[in-house]
Amino acid sequence: MREGTCQGCGQTAPIQSFYKIKGNLYCEPCSWKEERAAQERGETLEKTSVVDGSVCARCGTSAADAGIADFPAVNGIPLCPPCQQHIQDWPYPSWLKISLAALLLLLVIALVHSRSYFRAGRMMYRGEHLMEGGKYQEAIPLLKQADEAAPQSDKAALLLAKAALHIGDLETAQRALQSHQAGHFEVTEEFTEVKSLWNRATGALEKAVKARELANQPGHADEAEALIRQAAQEYPEMPQLAAAVPYFQGGAAFEHKDYDRFVQIAESVWRQYPQSGGAAATLAGALACKYAVTGDANYRQQAEDMLEKAHQLSQGDKQAEQSYQEYSERLQYRISTREIIDKQEYDRRFRDGKETK
Amino acid sequence: MFFIPGFVIAIATFPGVIIHEAAHLFFCKRFGLRVFDVCFFRLGNPAGYVIHEQTQDFRAMFFVGMGPFLINTLLCMVFCTAAFLPVWELKVDDIFAYFFYWLGLSIGMHAFPSTTDLSNLWADAPDRAKKGNLLAIISLPLVVVLYILNFARVVWADLGYGIAVGILGPIALFKVLARA
Repeated sequence: MREGTCQGCGQTAPIQSFYKIKGNLYCEPCSWKEERAAQERGETLEKTSVVDGSVCARCGTSAADAGIADFPAVNGIPLCPPCQQHIQDWPYPSWLKISLAALLLLLVIALVHSRSYFRAGRMMYRGEHLMEGGKYQEAIPLLKQADEAAPQSDKAALLLAKAALHIGDLETAQRALQSHQAGHFEVTEEFTEVKSLWNRATGALEKAVKARELANQPGHADEAEALIRQAAQEYPEMPQLAAAVPYFQGGAAFEHKDYDRFVQIAESVWRQYPQSGGAAATLAGALACKYAVTGDANYRQQAEDMLEKAHQLSQGDKQAEQSYQEYSERLQYRISTREIIDKQEYDRRFRDGKETK
Repeated sequence: MFFIPGFVIAIATFPGVIIHEAAHLFFCKRFGLRVFDVCFFRLGNPAGYVIHEQTQDFRAMFFVGMGPFLINTLLCMVFCTAAFLPVWELKVDDIFAYFFYWLGLSIGMHAFPSTTDLSNLWADAPDRAKKGNLLAIISLPLVVVLYILNFARVVWADLGYGIAVGILGPIALFKVLARA
């Protein structure tokens, strides 16, 4: 290690602690004095740190030990060969390598651990995307899976309920909403939207139920028709409501004894739903009425044909079969006696007043 | 806006500091720059540093300066993506997910390059950009934005950035995947 002497105070110290000003060596305090003096004179001084080439700046190894006077300087810094090599290719510390390996492992674990979440998330986002395109029916199976995988997720439950409400599937919507944390949701924009949809749907459904009750009471067919129309208008997402309107129209025509209109409506429904046992039965009923009032055997034949079709279409569906049993008896009575009586009267006369479905 | 001492933040988010400095070192080595000193983590300001030689190669300058920004942002997004669904969307109480979210946010919070790195780029970028250097052209607006964000650290811009990457990144990713 080389030593030097301060030009200002004469102090002797390792040369690397000195500064060079105008070719002279100064210790740090004296270099400040020189700088101040130069400032007062309005001069600027060039002050540089003195580098002791005989010692490695990084590890302190003496150049003399290596048999040389000075180490070569790298960017002005004297460095011994191992230190030169070190700064040229700074090694990653072992702990860092291990940490980075651990981080990568964590990354893999994180991704593997989240597989089920990714699946649920993908279903949910895919469902949401389908909903944006108005494909609610297609979205429902995906959203059901997402809701099952994440029963605590408000978003999954609300999306499922929303999709279901958009296709008039109140049962699915109700299950999604009520099974979610006992029906508790954070109040968000999505929740408010679904709530409003739900209220609209249930309101319409209540009207439909009321309309059905009225339809079963003599003298209320017009009121029932008006109510079912309102329900269908309020909740057009449920096609069953709109599909029920002609039945109620038919009921009103029957009540007003306007059998031509009754047949017209029943034919239109049958054309629209050729696979519906109910539609076939309604047309059979209307034709039976026409036969009853005209005595035209053509109407009788057509009524019997439609009744047979209704029978065929009800096969395999327990509820439809039960229903067929009920109305076929009444229609046979209408055809054989040519007397038109409504269901309530028929029940009163022949079923001990017990209502049947 | 509440104040939390820097060293507390550094301790709470230490993985981000280490990865930031490791990224600097990686790009220094990648571009053959001499490294004079490295500190991966300390309880001081800055919490870590890499002292390396200056270079005239703008590509090297860009990647050494911006490398941590890119690497930390990417890792933040990956870890947060793994945790985003259970934490934010599916509301699943999964301790691992919260751990990954902390890790992701810690890394994302330390994505911003230092003002020294940004100043170095800013000094060279305009001339290089005039000559049509694509990286220089990209770096000009990036440096301006990052410079502002760096100063906005006092109002938690770094945490805000981490959260933005950790939430908006996964949302964008999943939305894209849903359309695929």
